[in-house]
Amino acid sequence: MDYKLVPSVCPYCGTGCGILYKVLNDRITGVLPLKSHPVNEGKLCIKGWNAHAYVHHPLRLKAPLLKTEGRFHKVSWDRAIRTTADRLGDIREKHGPDAIGVLVSAKITNEENFLAQKFARTALGTNNIDHCARL
Amino acid sequence: MTNSIAEMEESACLFVIGSNTTECHPLIATRVLRAREKGAALVVADPRRIHLGLYADVAVQHRLGTDIALLNGMMYHILVNNWHDAAYIRARTEGFQEFSESVLAYTPERVEALTGVPAGAVEEMARLYAKSKPASILYAMGITQHTTGVDNVKAVCNLALLCGNVGVRGGGVNPLRGQNNVQGACDMGGLPNVLPGYQPVTDAEVRGRFAEAWGVPIPPQPGLTITEMAQAMMDGKLKALYVIGENPRLSDPDWNHLRHAMKRLEFLVVQDIFLSETAQVADVVLAAASCAEKDGTFTNSERRCLRIRQAVEPVGESLPDWRIFCLLSQAMGVPMDYNGPHEIMDEIASLAPKLYGGIRYDRLGIDGIQWPCPAPDHPGTPFLHKDRFSRGLGKFHAVEHRDPAELPSAETPFQLTTGRMFAHYHTGTMTRISQRLDAEQREGYVEIHPEDARELGIREGELVRVSSRRGEMEAPARLTRRVRRGTIFVPIHFGESPANILTSAEAFDPLAKIPEFKVSAVAVSKALQ
Amino acid sequence: MRKTVQQWLEEGIVDLFLGYRAVEGHPIPWVFRKDALHELEAFREGPYRYPLEKLAVEILREDPRVRLGLLARSCTERAVTVLQALHALDRERLILLQEPCCPSPLHRGVVCSSLAGPENGSQKRRDGIPRGRPLEELETWEADERFSRWMHELEKCLKCYGCRDVCPVCFCDQCTLQDPELFETGSLPAEAPHFHLVRAVHMAGRCVDCGLCEEACPVDIPLRTLYRKVGALVRDLYGYVPGHEPVPLLWGPLGDGELERLVAGERSREMVWEAVRRCSG
Repeated sequence: MDYKLVPSVCPYCGTGCGILYKVLNDRITGVLPLKSHPVNEGKLCIKGWNAHAYVHHPLRLKAPLLKTEGRFHKVSWDRAIRTTADRLGDIREKHGPDAIGVLVSAKITNEENFLAQKFARTALGTNNIDHCARL
Repeated sequence: MTNSIAEMEESACLFVIGSNTTECHPLIATRVLRAREKGAALVVADPRRIHLGLYADVAVQHRLGTDIALLNGMMYHILVNNWHDAAYIRARTEGFQEFSESVLAYTPERVEALTGVPAGAVEEMARLYAKSKPASILYAMGITQHTTGVDNVKAVCNLALLCGNVGVRGGGVNPLRGQNNVQGACDMGGLPNVLPGYQPVTDAEVRGRFAEAWGVPIPPQPGLTITEMAQAMMDGKLKALYVIGENPRLSDPDWNHLRHAMKRLEFLVVQDIFLSETAQVADVVLAAASCAEKDGTFTNSERRCLRIRQAVEPVGESLPDWRIFCLLSQAMGVPMDYNGPHEIMDEIASLAPKLYGGIRYDRLGIDGIQWPCPAPDHPGTPFLHKDRFSRGLGKFHAVEHRDPAELPSAETPFQLTTGRMFAHYHTGTMTRISQRLDAEQREGYVEIHPEDARELGIREGELVRVSSRRGEMEAPARLTRRVRRGTIFVPIHFGESPANILTSAEAFDPLAKIPEFKVSAVAVSKALQ
Repeated sequence: MRKTVQQWLEEGIVDLFLGYRAVEGHPIPWVFRKDALHELEAFREGPYRYPLEKLAVEILREDPRVRLGLLARSCTERAVTVLQALHALDRERLILLQEPCCPSPLHRGVVCSSLAGPENGSQKRRDGIPRGRPLEELETWEADERFSRWMHELEKCLKCYGCRDVCPVCFCDQCTLQDPELFETGSLPAEAPHFHLVRAVHMAGRCVDCGLCEEACPVDIPLRTLYRKVGALVRDLYGYVPGHEPVPLLWGPLGDGELERLVAGERSREMVWEAVRRCSG
């Protein structure tokens, strides 16, 4: 049996409360507030106490999907990436890079936001990048 | 935030405006209430009667879209009573003369007429804020989601400068960020006009440095904002959209407008952890790992860069977003490869050195580091602008009250305001599937004043129809005096009663392009069964 | 203490040991095991307090064979005793390593000096219930003042349910506090005072005064004081102190209707004990 507590940060609002995921055999069973954290000092709100509830939900996407004739089909990563790259490449070819927009996310990490805008500005060649900070 | 969350406990006065703190940032409300229990003054201004107001010395409900009038009204009293910090203004600011002339036009009578707040209460708010030092201002979307969003923020900053509260411990101008990594997404250049570290794309020297590091030229023109992208889709100019971890079909203004706009796209790719409303209409959906399934960092409201750690393996075949970007970039012929997020952070540190230069995984620990952190031995910065502002002197901006884009009319006599409630988050994709959160609030609702409800023949729990020029929605009524007469509130979390089918995509701040979610004109009636 | 843990693991006295380990300078609950003894280098003793009992229940339930060592303060011991009485854990498979946690002579279930909260500020002293004060002192206030002071505290409630979620002896699947028939859902604050009074009633005969709820409360409600009050009532009425002996709770076997009659004084204390004895057979 593997049981561990993994320190992390709550995925909800911008306060950045320290949490501990309770992990039992690769499944998160709950959350505890991190008592010595400088932001929340061992306290959480209702969302923080339930910050794990979505992780193992049956509705989580488990593989890339491709829509053909109006229906989604599971495909390999290779196919999903190739299709996306080809379609984006075609549109850029035909209409120029500014015919593509990228919405990055306030939910993904710094490193990922950095790569997302790097991808947009280098691989796609556009500054059409925004996120929902305003929403 | 200019200052830190823990510092709020040391404030002598907290002024909370446009933030329903106990519901939306509960662990910041912790500090506010602690400061209050230690004897600090608490001033609350919100168009709704919010929970925090119970503990305030003064709590006022100003009319929607009258923040500038209220703030200028406070500053009028501060000026005429000589409560401002003249030494600070002399040493650290500019533009005071022009600003003070504009503020003196906000006489108590005029402000009362505009805001609906009694003149005496405005004076008391001014006195408490100006006479208690250090004083901290907290605000959230209630200030920014307006056509005057940028001016609202300027008015807040004017107030803080006027009383010498910027650059001092326990003071500051403190916008509370709504999403865990909004701060980080901005820091990392997730914006159309700046590269990582807020370096403008229009600056050739900046572009040169990034081009050198990345081996590809950087486009020199600022790109489109989210609101402009929707218009470009309608105009057929934007053909493809790549949406990462967002659900704009629900979160963006004027749902119908965006839905139509998205139909015009040739190609939509969505990367998410769930098949959100937006993902459902995509051509390709890329399955992302959640933040419990990967390493990385988030930067919170107080600029604290904090590590998240992988707790479990990614579900199914899902991949961390950073890996997906690497795969896509490579497939498009631009090499992108890292051994892990720590290597990406090293690149961030080298390209955004003023803010992140000293941030490395091996020194973040659990406590994290607050930027600016320009060097590996720099301890981080709990509060900004200590001895000087980034531009040198702090600038006063004269700002004037302007009406919201939509005022009530004969057809749409009610004002709608939108926001969050405490048990759910944003579009609800993550929270509504939690049994315990769902148990707290299962469905959307419309907060309406009991007197208005009585006149419309609406009883508690009955279905209400709300319509604007853009669309209509239905949800059960919640009769409460938390809203003023003539105003209704609809939470944003519930897709089956989408608040944003009502809001306008055309009304946004000209500079920040932030939509006016906080004020729309609507008609309200009892729904036909 | 670290040596004892190592010995227990090496000699197979326990399969796993639940204590604290320093992770980047922060003490975090940790499961030590024989195949990773090097982790004991960062074993930590000190005034840390997480609901280890709750984690222990989860571990024991997951693996019906595992023998678990548990770092136990006096409050942990009391909680384990209550959990045993409620048949929530298999006491046979739990071996306690007692930590003489509290230097205070009062530590026998009265005051815990290791849990330091924020100081009582001037406004809290004026309008609220200052924390850490003896019950007798709080009861010198007139009823009206007591009520308004408690309302000051209880109306801060953000409905995080942290008091319940952190509580070592709270584990029901269906929680009364989230029963929409009893409480309004979806708005703040929690309905005062009954939301907290209902939880307090549920704590009667159960609370071991560990103080974790008060530490977890984001708005500094002196919950410990409230639960001490119901604890004192149970002690005075029935001579029952939870955590001292593994006897079942008073009204667990009796049902709610019985409880109401009890409170109304229809039955004598002896009759109650007789009922308890019968039920625990």
